[in-house]
Amino acid sequence: MKNYIKSVGALTVICAVIAILLALTNSITAPVIEKNANAAANEALLIVLPDGEEFTSVDLSSYELPSTVTEAFTEKNGGVVVKLTTSGYGSDMVIMVGVDGSGTVTGATCLSSNETLGYEKTYGESAIGSTVDTVDGIDVIAGATKTTAAYKGAVKDALNTAVILGGGSVDVRTEEEILADNLNGALPEGEGEFESVFVAEAIDESITAVYKAVNGKGYVFVVGEAFVGADADGNVVTDVDDAVKTAVSGSVAAIINSEITELDISGYEMPNQIEKAYKTASGNYVFDLKASGFGINGDEYYNPSGEYIKIKVSVTEDGKIIACQTVSQKETDGIGSACEDVSFYSQFNGKTEADYGDIDAISGATITTNGYKTAVSKVFEAIKILKGEA
Amino acid sequence: MKKDGNLSVMLKGLLRENPVFVLILGTCPTLATTTTVIGAFSMGLAAAAVLICSNAVISLLRKFIPDTVRIPCYIVIIAGFVTIVRMFMQAYLPDIFELLGVYLDLITVNCIILGRAEMFAGKNSVGKSVLDGVGMGLGFTLALVAMATVREVLGAGSFAGIAIPFMSTHTIDIFIKAPGGLMVYGFLIAVVNAITKGKAIKKKDFSCAGCPSAGVCNGGCASAKKEGE
Repeated sequence: MKNYIKSVGALTVICAVIAILLALTNSITAPVIEKNANAAANEALLIVLPDGEEFTSVDLSSYELPSTVTEAFTEKNGGVVVKLTTSGYGSDMVIMVGVDGSGTVTGATCLSSNETLGYEKTYGESAIGSTVDTVDGIDVIAGATKTTAAYKGAVKDALNTAVILGGGSVDVRTEEEILADNLNGALPEGEGEFESVFVAEAIDESITAVYKAVNGKGYVFVVGEAFVGADADGNVVTDVDDAVKTAVSGSVAAIINSEITELDISGYEMPNQIEKAYKTASGNYVFDLKASGFGINGDEYYNPSGEYIKIKVSVTEDGKIIACQTVSQKETDGIGSACEDVSFYSQFNGKTEADYGDIDAISGATITTNGYKTAVSKVFEAIKILKGEA
Repeated sequence: MKKDGNLSVMLKGLLRENPVFVLILGTCPTLATTTTVIGAFSMGLAAAAVLICSNAVISLLRKFIPDTVRIPCYIVIIAGFVTIVRMFMQAYLPDIFELLGVYLDLITVNCIILGRAEMFAGKNSVGKSVLDGVGMGLGFTLALVAMATVREVLGAGSFAGIAIPFMSTHTIDIFIKAPGGLMVYGFLIAVVNAITKGKAIKKKDFSCAGCPSAGVCNGGCASAKKEGE
């Protein structure tokens, strides 16, 4: 019995002493080990944020961040490193972006991707130095637009994330969502369903777009930044200043009463860009056009789509363009596809044959721009033919 | 054995009683960590450090530790030192810590250390036990480095990570794989046997009493070895 007690006692004492020694050692080494572990884990983050110190992981669930963000880290000096997963030409392009305390991109790198051309490996360099305000100005690379446009989008998301994590707020809604919210705000009776109205009547030039409630409850006019609602009888329902109110109420009747009839153009020798012609009750003309852009005339190396750009143009009887709008296009994504942007086609509004020249070309898309301009210019010829002047 | 001078206590571990090539102990870490010279060297030193410390403490406590629970006591002491070494390595030599991986923890059950505790430290003075630890530790390190040198130079064409011209472009991959490890092991044992003319150790010095497996083996291995001679 005495032996048992002695054995147990000895083993217990040894275990206790060893445990104390281990505790002592641990108290010395644990902080060092933790520091090492942090440094190792964050070493990768330094690639995009070289001056970063003491990174801490961000709990993404407590912020409303862009959906591409998968991981985010903040650091001592207010910098942020964001990991994002986006889709370029292939899927799952993982990009890491560093943003310093002043909101400037310090580095962007692609961690993994399924892209084919390899542009994602170097494109990040072009993002360095950009901020929330300048990120839109980064050029995408012709021939690798899907990859680089997605990359650019990721950089933009990262910059927005940095703003959000810094306590600011940015609009993370998509353009469609923003538009839908604005339309709904201007005319709640429309119950969120609107369709774009092609303007075939001479209306106030400050109006850049018109939407119609699908349920027939009214219209929304876009005047500059403002969205102005008008009910089905033409009364302005949004509280705006008098000038805007006058512009809208003066135009709404024309829109409501707009009535167009298709013309039979088979008897005329029309330019081949003219597909259909219409005439409104007020005497304006509307044309459906097809333009040969890059889709038709493009270099075969780039696999042109083989599709025309479809355009709708309305012109007054005396040859002044009321509205021009791209209906559909299959130009190169990210380059010629800009012909779909309001900023491009609204340039034609108000043009006459005499001052038709100064239309800004789409950067990098000469073939698209030229095809588009040629097609739209044919409306002047078409009017003359229809009026029997040509 | 007790008549041995201090120097010979230490030196015998290097060759005559080399734990790896003569006592054939610690085979597992020997094969696993000798793919690189740096890994082998670090492993050797880590094991040596544990061996010296555990030998000293076990020798110091040899009168205190009851015979019936000596093995658990040894294991606790050894495991304690291994953990201490492991913590320090993780903190101050993280690269080597990564390199050694699980084999660092496995020093705890390294037969060399437990074997020396049983065979030597449990019976000898603190001073001699420390010298034995130094000798055996260096012998282990030396053996590992020798083996790693052959394997890394032939298998990876480099020495301690530095590429050797010509060799680095003409590597013999099997040497850094397990079969190559066993081959090199065998050849080096043969070389050591040749140098010591097969009389490196007298079997009676290396009696079954000191062997942790004695109960199961019943002297079978010793007689098998004799037949082999």
